[in-house]
Amino acid sequence: MTCTLGEVKNRADFIIYWGGNPAECHPRHFTRYALTPKGKFLPRGRKDRTMVLVDIRETMSAKAADIFLQVRPGKDFEMLTILRALVKNQKVSAEACAETGLTLEQLQDLVNRMKAAKFGVLFFGMGLSMTRGKHMNSAAALTLATELNAFTKFVAMLMRGHGNVTGADVVMRYTLSYPFGISMTRGYPRFNPGEYSTIDLLVRGDNDATIVIGADPGATMPKPAIEHLRRTPTIVLDPKVTHTSRLSRVHFTTAPAGISAPGTAYRMDEVPLPLRPALKSPYLTDEDVLKKIVAAVQRRPGWYPKPHAGAPVA
Amino acid sequence: MTTATAPEPTKRELTVVKNAVCTFCGCVCDDIELHADDVRIVETKRACILGEAWFKNHTAERHYPDALIDGKEATYDDAVEVAADILHGANMPLVYGLSNTTCEAQREAVWLAELVGGVIDSHTSL
Repeated sequence: MTCTLGEVKNRADFIIYWGGNPAECHPRHFTRYALTPKGKFLPRGRKDRTMVLVDIRETMSAKAADIFLQVRPGKDFEMLTILRALVKNQKVSAEACAETGLTLEQLQDLVNRMKAAKFGVLFFGMGLSMTRGKHMNSAAALTLATELNAFTKFVAMLMRGHGNVTGADVVMRYTLSYPFGISMTRGYPRFNPGEYSTIDLLVRGDNDATIVIGADPGATMPKPAIEHLRRTPTIVLDPKVTHTSRLSRVHFTTAPAGISAPGTAYRMDEVPLPLRPALKSPYLTDEDVLKKIVAAVQRRPGWYPKPHAGAPVA
Repeated sequence: MTTATAPEPTKRELTVVKNAVCTFCGCVCDDIELHADDVRIVETKRACILGEAWFKNHTAERHYPDALIDGKEATYDDAVEVAADILHGANMPLVYGLSNTTCEAQREAVWLAELVGGVIDSHTSL
């Protein structure tokens, strides 16, 4: 269950940030969307809202929070599960709470506040979705938000990092029906994170070529993954010559999106926005280069006995 | 950045782009005002420190060749042929990244993945 940031601005009187540091990673999230703006039903802005921060350490964002809850590293799933139990008035032992680094009183207080909210939002970041438990943590957070709807309006939203990563999810969903980690090796889409997710593929050495578009895995991924990129032919499209470019067979310099390349980008709440580039780049855009590669591949014999009539229906 | 700081700004006409969109982080703020000369963005009104760095870090200058094949300068068309050979010849090519690009390019990438029978994945899986 989610909503747009416009709804958050106008309605949300209770905001939780979990495993994210918006003060440093999304600096305008507080002021433009979630915390300080005056909304239609929150005429006093910040004064009408309560903000809770859940994180493993006291980051810069804690200064902006009304309540800061320091969860023990790797105990997010346990804390979420306890919150879900408390929401349903189940008995929770003090020992179980102590495991999360928090007290039963703190957690019960949080649950009371969540239930008392008129419109609650749970923003969760990579500190929750990419640590121990991974997608199980995300699922628990989404379930908690869903279950709170028995008492009040409550939504969850992922704090997306990179500019148009939401767009990638949306585009893959409407073309291939899944958001990421999709195999087309049988000619139809199959979705299986863990099997078809990049790090797993590269670390196992499953794929025999890679095309990287606007990313730099050579600088960020674990060493076995980088070694596999070096071992197998890699193609890179990037505005700069990156670490990945240096271990690649082919590098294309492209115009950076939004600065000199036009197009569309999706905000984290899945609102699409048209880009307004300010500069004219001497380079082609990612779109142009990919179109050329597609055309060149189409000139070669098909790998699968299926006629390709044209681009997939948008 | 190099010489004559005083007369330079008045000489050049700056183009102003209102309601420009910043694609650095997932907030995708669409109220930025950009002032740019021919090659670089000189002012980023309402952008945060991350956005300002993002806009000012990319210029329209030519710092790199159009393409590189095995580290050597190449034209787009030659590099496209090599890339197509690699992807066409592979049994299981991977299309990865897609975060710092436009939806239009993402759609082409999806089409490419289907065409070569590969795997497509984004930063979401990290």
